[in-house]
Amino acid sequence: MKHLIIGAAVAATVATGATAQEVTLGRFFGACEDAGTDTKASVGEACIIQSIINAADAELDGITVTTLPTDWGNYYDQIKAAYAGGTPPDVHVMHRHRVPEFAGLGAIADISGDLEAAGIDPSDWSENALAAVSYEGGIYGVPMDFHANLWHVNMDLMAAAGLVEDGKPVLPTSPEELLQHAQMVKDATGQDYLAADFAQFPIGVRLVLALMWQQNANIFDGDTATINNDAAANAVTAMTQLFDAGLANPQLNYADSQQAFLNGEAAILVNGTWVVDFYTAEAAKEEVALDNYYVADFPTLFDTGATWADSHMWAIPASLDGDQRAAAMKVLAFINDHNIDWARTGHMAVRTSVLESAEYAGLPHRDEYTGTAAIARDTPPSERYGAIQDVLNRELQAIWLTGKDVTAALADAEAEVQDLLDR
Amino acid sequence: MTGQTRQKRRITQGQAAFVLLLPFLATYALFLVYPFLRGIWISLHDWNLLAVAFNPDAKEFVGLRNYERVMWGRNIEWGAVASPLLQGIGAAGVALSVFLRRAGRVSKVTAIALGLASALLFVLPGFHPGEGGRWYDRRFWPTVGNTLVFVGWTVPGVTVAALLIAAALNRETRAMSVYRTLFFLSQILSVTVVTLIWQIMFSPRQGLIANVTEAFGGSPIVWLTDERFAMAAIVITTIWWSLGIAMILFLAGMQDISKDLYEAGALDNATGARAFWYITLPNLKRTITLVIVLQVILQFQVFGQAHLMTQGGPNDTTQVLVRYIYQTAFRDSELGRASAMAVFLFVIMGGFSILQFVLGREDDQ
Repeated sequence: MKHLIIGAAVAATVATGATAQEVTLGRFFGACEDAGTDTKASVGEACIIQSIINAADAELDGITVTTLPTDWGNYYDQIKAAYAGGTPPDVHVMHRHRVPEFAGLGAIADISGDLEAAGIDPSDWSENALAAVSYEGGIYGVPMDFHANLWHVNMDLMAAAGLVEDGKPVLPTSPEELLQHAQMVKDATGQDYLAADFAQFPIGVRLVLALMWQQNANIFDGDTATINNDAAANAVTAMTQLFDAGLANPQLNYADSQQAFLNGEAAILVNGTWVVDFYTAEAAKEEVALDNYYVADFPTLFDTGATWADSHMWAIPASLDGDQRAAAMKVLAFINDHNIDWARTGHMAVRTSVLESAEYAGLPHRDEYTGTAAIARDTPPSERYGAIQDVLNRELQAIWLTGKDVTAALADAEAEVQDLLDR
Repeated sequence: MTGQTRQKRRITQGQAAFVLLLPFLATYALFLVYPFLRGIWISLHDWNLLAVAFNPDAKEFVGLRNYERVMWGRNIEWGAVASPLLQGIGAAGVALSVFLRRAGRVSKVTAIALGLASALLFVLPGFHPGEGGRWYDRRFWPTVGNTLVFVGWTVPGVTVAALLIAAALNRETRAMSVYRTLFFLSQILSVTVVTLIWQIMFSPRQGLIANVTEAFGGSPIVWLTDERFAMAAIVITTIWWSLGIAMILFLAGMQDISKDLYEAGALDNATGARAFWYITLPNLKRTITLVIVLQVILQFQVFGQAHLMTQGGPNDTTQVLVRYIYQTAFRDSELGRASAMAVFLFVIMGGFSILQFVLGREDDQ
């Protein structure tokens, strides 16, 4: 009888252990219905990441992964509210620029002690990737990519303007040349030279930041905002000269600027690495005006090469422990194992073994933007990253959408960023 | 014996009423009174959303500093002509209310309400940063201004449009009931659907409006990113969305008007537009007041349209109060400051509720 009871107890324990561990997952990238579990066939950020998650759900024994409904624009607000309410997702994606804020408060877990057990080898991560997830000596996440602003090029329009040499686009090396090239495209094709989302999401901000970094300047230094200066004015006027001459339209938002590029109405689209596979697929379609697609590194218009970059990473809440933590770590390991699949989006991989693989080198257009990794930059870490980006976006929009005086806008931006740094 | 029973029953009735009210009172206290008081409590603290969640002691009592940081500034001065247009209207409003009251054209309460509103319009825009001064929060008052502009366009827009549609549909035919349903349909959509529909409508590339403009040879307007049109786009969307409920209220009011009045009016040659002006409108006075006040309170809380269609842009021209509160609380994690703004919004909306109460009582007399 005694044996029977012990046996039953053991059986019960085993049974409990065997029931699936449910891991909730929060992410942005947008929704993808029917992503399937084939991580090699999906196209676009949303579908590729969802296919990896679906595959994890199907392949990991004893673990089910549930993707929570979240929305791109309000993602961090939702995540913060979830943490504040004590119900964060077991696994969630975030940007490296948010690490100071989340790790600083003790929200996300230092997982340096969990990596080995989960089968993640941090020595395979590139040096920059490790730096991206490190904070005050700890490792606060599993890096997934580097993403950066690129110049997406319509080669047919460039060729018509005589801006193609050896099968590569000829890109400007100074603001003056930028204006000159833009005029050449306009004269030859009647189309705009450059499109980007200057009107809503901060693509225009990232462009101006890159041009400031190219002059070895930055928007703040320690606790001092440094925006109202010549470097910022040069960066801004490099763009406004195109708007003033009617060679680019500042009023297009993300969807409209992308559509303009795909319709063959702009020779260059400034956008991130995340759309390379999508544009490749679009360019192959008969009905899409863009036929001859090329991806270029962000050109250097000033002294040093620089382009805006950030990193996606996966973190788990510090409150997670026991089996739940182990299960969450297994999901992170699965995502880490599929780094090559994620790189199909166009993002740069973080694992040396992937970076050096033939499969990676063979990804479409990959050889065209190899210089980007070396010029990737971002603003200094700050807990107020989001608010600072918002200030810049507002004041820059004021310049190109409402005709606000450049000096006045930069002075206002500096004052407001200073307020944020002082708070 | 009978008396005793009656007395007993009366007590039971009072108790029964209390018992029946209890679930409501409990819910009301738990979900409205308590959060409201807690909101005021939070607004008196330096309260970081995340930090306090992980460490309840991370908050600091700061008294009214959040209110000062949001609404006040350094070297703020007051001038009678700092904002000539608004203050001029305010001064004229005060004069008008005094005149109307003296002439006996309006009641005492209306005169006081109008006078008070005008006085506020005269006093508030007069504050401005003096030499070397600045607002501590440079976005707060412009945001309040944007919200007022939004309310100022949307409420009359909804009221007039709903009134006209209701008048046109106030007939007992099958076609009219179909139209009534159609006009009400927009109301049941959620803000996400409404804004999605209108973002497509306003799109300079695929949008219906752009196609119509182009068909007439004009160049399409980039509605959502042009500072002259962004607010208009949001107002149009909101009017389309909020028509339904106002229309139903007006229809109900119109059906309450006695047919005899119209028959008597017809004998005096008052039909069509005249009948509308001389019979329908005066009889709808209370409904119109109700619709306006409900709309004012509702539209002050605008959030989804600005958040989803323009993200408050371009250059903050469509940034509205609730969106600013939301950003301050959840993006910037500054719960105390956000609560102070929320209390400010409550005061404004409370003011309009009191106004409705006053006007409604006046009609009873």
